[in-house]
Amino acid sequence: MDYFALVKEAKLAAPQGAKFRLALLAECSTQHLAPALKALFAREGVAVELYEGPYGAIRQETLDPKSGLYAFKPDAIAILSDARALRERFSRDDKGAEAFAAGAAGDMISVWRAIESRSAAVILQATLPVPYERLFGNFDEKAARSLPAAARRINRALVDASGGNVRICDLDSLASYLGLGRWFDQKLWALAKAPCSFECLPLLARALVDATRPQRGRAVKCVVTDLDNTLWGGTIGDDGLEGIKLGHGDEGEAYLELQRFLLALKQRGILLAVCSRNDEKTALEPFEKHPEMALKRSDFAAFVANWTSKAEGLKAIREALNIGFDSMVFLDDDAFERNLIRAALPEVAVPELPEDAADFVKALCELNLFEAGSFTEEDRARAGQYAAQEVRRSKQAAFTSPEGYLRSLNMKITVARFDAFHLPRVAQLTSRSNQFNLTTKRYAEGECAAFMKDEAGCYPFYVTLKDDLGDSGLVAAAILLYKGDALEIDQWLMSCRVLMRGVEEHMMNFAVALAKAKGLKTIKGRYVPTAKNGMVRDFFGRFGFVKTAERPDGSADWSLDAARYEPKPVYFAEQAGAAGHG
Amino acid sequence: MDEAAARLQLQEVMRDVFSDSSIEIFDEMTAADVTGWDSLNHINLVIAVERSFGVRLTTKDVAALRNVGGMLALLRAKLT
Repeated sequence: MDYFALVKEAKLAAPQGAKFRLALLAECSTQHLAPALKALFAREGVAVELYEGPYGAIRQETLDPKSGLYAFKPDAIAILSDARALRERFSRDDKGAEAFAAGAAGDMISVWRAIESRSAAVILQATLPVPYERLFGNFDEKAARSLPAAARRINRALVDASGGNVRICDLDSLASYLGLGRWFDQKLWALAKAPCSFECLPLLARALVDATRPQRGRAVKCVVTDLDNTLWGGTIGDDGLEGIKLGHGDEGEAYLELQRFLLALKQRGILLAVCSRNDEKTALEPFEKHPEMALKRSDFAAFVANWTSKAEGLKAIREALNIGFDSMVFLDDDAFERNLIRAALPEVAVPELPEDAADFVKALCELNLFEAGSFTEEDRARAGQYAAQEVRRSKQAAFTSPEGYLRSLNMKITVARFDAFHLPRVAQLTSRSNQFNLTTKRYAEGECAAFMKDEAGCYPFYVTLKDDLGDSGLVAAAILLYKGDALEIDQWLMSCRVLMRGVEEHMMNFAVALAKAKGLKTIKGRYVPTAKNGMVRDFFGRFGFVKTAERPDGSADWSLDAARYEPKPVYFAEQAGAAGHG
Repeated sequence: MDEAAARLQLQEVMRDVFSDSSIEIFDEMTAADVTGWDSLNHINLVIAVERSFGVRLTTKDVAALRNVGGMLALLRAKLT
């Protein structure tokens, strides 16, 4: 990416999609960053509004509740710290890197706390690209008396203290990959306090755009991979089990590297799927018999091998896993197949793969496709949940009635008010759920916490579900506001993994019972259409709500008389919530 | 260095940086004569000139720049 090309792109860009308000607080100048950010957000369809805080005034801006920062009402606040801004302070300090880093990191963390008490915005804290002067040569890190040694320790402390509403934007990792010598441009620092060279500036901007992705509900959930010449060298159908290249030594090593990378992604909660033009039996052979395969059939949540087009294959995977095309990445060594998918399914991310299989993993990592704001137990367990889902689906076929099937699952459900323990997963679900989501309000952890604390004003609750086949974890959430004599549904969403299980019926029974207990006569809901949530267009109708208003944008208001609601039949055993909230 | 060619080349760079194809440069031309020649675009101009002419302007060079003639003199010195 060329900086000047991005500046031109920013001038012409007119993104039609969502708005995003990003504030920049920096110890470097941000004026050159702004056009690059505009262009790169626009590439994702996002119209970004930027607020550039005054240079070097992070404390003043964050401590003053009347500052421009808070008046701007940012969705996210990026804090670009710069080790060079610490140089003067460091040079007057002779306590060593360890003590200096503890103090400097503590200052930054106190800035986070100042923001958190005044705003629910997500905080994106940049790590400090580590400066290059080594006072002791190779002994520098051990001596711990130089600014680079301090910067490394500050970065460690920032990462350790992050979490909740504070996320790291790891510029040091980016700068190291690009080369710190390329990153730092001391002339631009001297003349304009620019954060880095113009060569690296577009990548700095992209790192910030990427870091906002989890919050914007744009997360990759599934990697779909081709087999022949992608997971192994050669063609299993032609070359046979002994002929394909896979495993230790030369070419086969390169393919094994990609397999190991995919396995690591699976362990981090990304679903894997196969989409290959092959006979299924042939395609499965390496998974069952090849001794060097790192990936096993059981690592894949879906396995499509047939002779239909790959676009059809991706559609089948989408159906099986209940995820959107925009949360899928498709890997294929064949440029022709890649282009077919790009044309047929433009929402699917289709990275260019280099000619040399040895470069596959590096090329994928440069694209930084797998952003996340958190890592929860649910992520770890997800692949297993999908495997259990397959068993449920086959079990379902054996029952004549849905009731009989649902009863046989021995489902245990918990409905509980938001608690601190579940907040990270609630926030994650609100940022990820696109389909079964009535209002698609994206609440960050801080905002969820505000609802949690507001006992007089609302009842925000989550739902967890498990059955004989596995623990589905936290699968749904809703926020119910007490408004006069009505209970107003501010947010209501559910993971598509638990469709048709009666979870939404149970939630509505709960909501109506809550309204009655609170003496509230009506329940009010709103449906706000998005490109994704067509499946819940008539959600309220199903429960006997009456439509009271409809707008040209397709959004509609619905109302239900609590006294006239008939509780829906459900088949759960109820369990108490984790933190003792009703 | 071909003086006239360099002048034309610099004019093109400036038209590009300031997004104004009507810019006609002259030696006494300063930031005050060009819409959009602010501190932001000043840095952009420096980088664009470096790239276009394949030279490196030092921090001192940039700090000493006063007008377009100064830039041309600098380029003349670097390129001969």
